[in-house]
Amino acid sequence: MLTRKTHPRCLMIGILVLSNVLVARLPAAQEGEPSLVALPPPSLNFYGSPGVIDMPSADMLPDGQFAPSLSSFGGQTRFNFTFQAMPWMSASFRYNAIRNWNLFGFPTYYDRGFDVRFRLFKEQHNLPGVTLGLQDFAGTGVYSAEYIVATKTFETPAWGASRLPGRLKISAGLGWGRLGSYGSIGSFGERPTFDGSSSSGGALAYDQWFRGPFAPFGGIEWQVNDRLGLKLEYSSDAYITETQTTSVFQRKSPINLGVEYQVTPRTRLGAYYLYGSEIGISAQIQINPRHPPTLMAVPAPQPVRQRPERSQQPEVWGTGWAESESAALSLRDQLGPLLKEDGLVLESLDVAPDRVELRFRNLRYMTHPIALGRAARALARVMPASVETFRLVLVSNGMGLSTTTIRRSDLEALETDANSTDAILAVTGISDTPQIADTAVPGPDLYPDLGWSFAPYFAPAYFDPQQPIRMDVGVDLDVTYRPVPGWVISGKLRQRLAGNVKNGRVSSSALPPVRTDQALYAQYGTTLNNLYVARYWRAGADLYARASAGYFEYGYGGVSTELLWKPVNSLLALGLEANYAIKRDYDQRLGFLDYRVFTGHASAYMDFDNGFHAQMDVGRYLAGDVGATFAMDRVFDNGWSVGGFFTLTNVSADDFGEGSFDKGIRLNIPLGWFLGFPSRQSVGTMIRPIQRDGGARMYVPGRLYGQIRGAHQKALRDQWSGFWE
Amino acid sequence: MWIRALLGLIPLLGLIGCSSGNEVVPLEVQLIRAGQDVAARPRGKAPERPALRRTDLDPLEGSFMEVTLERAERLAYLFVNDQRQDDSPGRIMIWRSEDNVTMTTRNGMLIATRGLGGDILSSTVQVQGNLPGPATGGEHTQVIRALDNGKVRLTMACDLTDLGPETIEIVERKHATRHLQQRCNGTDGGIINDYWVDFGNGLVMQSRQWAGPQIGYMRFRRLTY
Repeated sequence: MLTRKTHPRCLMIGILVLSNVLVARLPAAQEGEPSLVALPPPSLNFYGSPGVIDMPSADMLPDGQFAPSLSSFGGQTRFNFTFQAMPWMSASFRYNAIRNWNLFGFPTYYDRGFDVRFRLFKEQHNLPGVTLGLQDFAGTGVYSAEYIVATKTFETPAWGASRLPGRLKISAGLGWGRLGSYGSIGSFGERPTFDGSSSSGGALAYDQWFRGPFAPFGGIEWQVNDRLGLKLEYSSDAYITETQTTSVFQRKSPINLGVEYQVTPRTRLGAYYLYGSEIGISAQIQINPRHPPTLMAVPAPQPVRQRPERSQQPEVWGTGWAESESAALSLRDQLGPLLKEDGLVLESLDVAPDRVELRFRNLRYMTHPIALGRAARALARVMPASVETFRLVLVSNGMGLSTTTIRRSDLEALETDANSTDAILAVTGISDTPQIADTAVPGPDLYPDLGWSFAPYFAPAYFDPQQPIRMDVGVDLDVTYRPVPGWVISGKLRQRLAGNVKNGRVSSSALPPVRTDQALYAQYGTTLNNLYVARYWRAGADLYARASAGYFEYGYGGVSTELLWKPVNSLLALGLEANYAIKRDYDQRLGFLDYRVFTGHASAYMDFDNGFHAQMDVGRYLAGDVGATFAMDRVFDNGWSVGGFFTLTNVSADDFGEGSFDKGIRLNIPLGWFLGFPSRQSVGTMIRPIQRDGGARMYVPGRLYGQIRGAHQKALRDQWSGFWE
Repeated sequence: MWIRALLGLIPLLGLIGCSSGNEVVPLEVQLIRAGQDVAARPRGKAPERPALRRTDLDPLEGSFMEVTLERAERLAYLFVNDQRQDDSPGRIMIWRSEDNVTMTTRNGMLIATRGLGGDILSSTVQVQGNLPGPATGGEHTQVIRALDNGKVRLTMACDLTDLGPETIEIVERKHATRHLQQRCNGTDGGIINDYWVDFGNGLVMQSRQWAGPQIGYMRFRRLTY
């Protein structure tokens, strides 16, 4: 798992909506100018995928598109997240509520589901696009369906003032499962009927895919201009459970129609009349990591100070200055404030007549190359002319992560070059960091270093059948003390001010209740969230190490050690983590309960060239189960990431309980992407359809890989265009 | 009872969103600060700047330029942050505004911006010696900071036309210039840059130049030199 702080989804959605609504849009470009503005994406259906109203189309969203949407009709509300993971593949997660259900003991039925869609053929001039979809393929299956659908787009004249011509989209497809339940024209094999009372869900229902009756469906969407769209469809969904087994609504007709309006470039609203009896509404938001709501603006750096020609002022180029014992201290004192202005902290400075090594922390920029560019400029302002080689070492928790070596004359010559970004990268070296030299002078008054923060927190709990979202809010007092480089003593006091997570259910479990008893911990308002001591060090070339002890999270404390192998230029990293976890007392003060377990994992991390990031952890989990976690994330250079994970252990699906095995999705959006100023913080969340006890891990603050990856060669090269910014 | 307890907490609330130390500021604190910044932003339109008079400019030492961002309707005055000659032909000037935006020109042609967002990282322009403005038609390339934290290269082919002599006035002072127009076209569209060049003093006195798809056109007027 990537080590990252998670933050609640509602906070993120709040920021999303705010930044979408409030950010003033710049006046449009004049006609004819080259533009980087994306074309309007396809509109979504009630399941959050490109489509008509209740039926899908073959359209794919633009690569990387992230689309949260909400739809509702006839007492059925669907909250969907769709992510276009690759140009030809999208995945969706859905949380839905069906009112007046009154079946299997649920007055309102809440369920989670995953969809996945694959493009089989891309639309071409004469040929339609074709897409294959699996809907609700791993949940309890209330919405399960499979389909193959074709869509062809035609251009039409636009109505009124419009940036773009109108578009007419005609879709037709064949559906199975739910989408084969009305007007079926044939059948393949047997398909078991949906039974929400017995299925624990979670497992792939591949034995049902494309089985049973199949039926045609189709629809037309006419985008009359760049804002207004009209939709009409024929639905092959009979809503058998909803209208015959129980009476959620009345289905009188297979015809649905609706009208949609693009309110802002990222928001589309719709109103519909469905199944001859119901009014429906939808709200669709579509955002793309490549198109931030606000362009990131970083205050302009000072230009690289040019040294005078050696032939003209040879005296400036002398090295006599280096003989003075106070030279290093004086240079450090000039450099520190310049770095601080740019959000950088000077850890140490080692000066020689012809070279300098600066170790520093980057507190401000999500991408390290911006910090490297600023640090190099600061050195060019301060260092005597004879200092030609700049070695810039990014530091986290006292560990040198990588060394970027730049010649000062390149810096001077290339700042205004026509290809300045590529040109400086071509002459820059990125390498591992040797041990710090004895001659280095430390940052002034940096150690011992005390930091604190007093901030609100939001702690949500999702998907309780009684209440979909519960939330605690309160304040955290966080104190961190660093006596010497590499040592951290940190603690967090938490005071809840309001919330209802404590009313959540404690479900029974066949395993030791390592996570399902979270509600017992939520009974207490004043808690010690964590208190630990950690030591970080470089255990050798390409090796990073951590040892921690204390109270790591609400539920567990103990001892944790980690060793990571990650050469600077390697895409692969290998890690080992061994923990002795002791379950904390419910009041989250200093006591422990009588549950102890050795857990640990061997991990492999792979940073693929195509933007995907994979991780596999094999080992023993908190409940004593043994197995492996597989995770895949699409990671963007600006810090966005969207991904998913699942864990298979030696716990049977029956013992695991609802969901059959542990799985979830996660999302991370950099704060700077929303707000347009530089920040290393992200808003993120991890959503599990259900939290059970199998495949659970202890949360240990400060895991190594997440601190290191961004400072290594691949990330630095990928994000290099920030260097001159 | 609980109301009183809550009231007791109010003095503490002033501290929420505070932090100190040499670490990354927590997310919630950054959000609170961003909210405070937005709240503190002046409302409504910026006050009209009084019209410049030559008597205001005369006492100034050094070079000053006025820039107007057409899309944002923002106007700023620029001073010289640095000037130099690099390995390529043309005189480099780095201009800076009070609000930490810089614009870099080579012989008066915009080749880079910083601090605006969606900036021009670097450019290829047609230069001859230290002659002001574009020397010939040909390639005009901008490398733009855009999309996923990366850069986008926009290459256009340009035609240069001399539209003849024009007398322009900049803050009560008339200048005899030649109006050069550069029409550039690429795969995604085209732009037009205009330069009013004074070959007497070797300066681009006034111009309207395109600063990439995310910034749009800028107008420059050389106030002093």
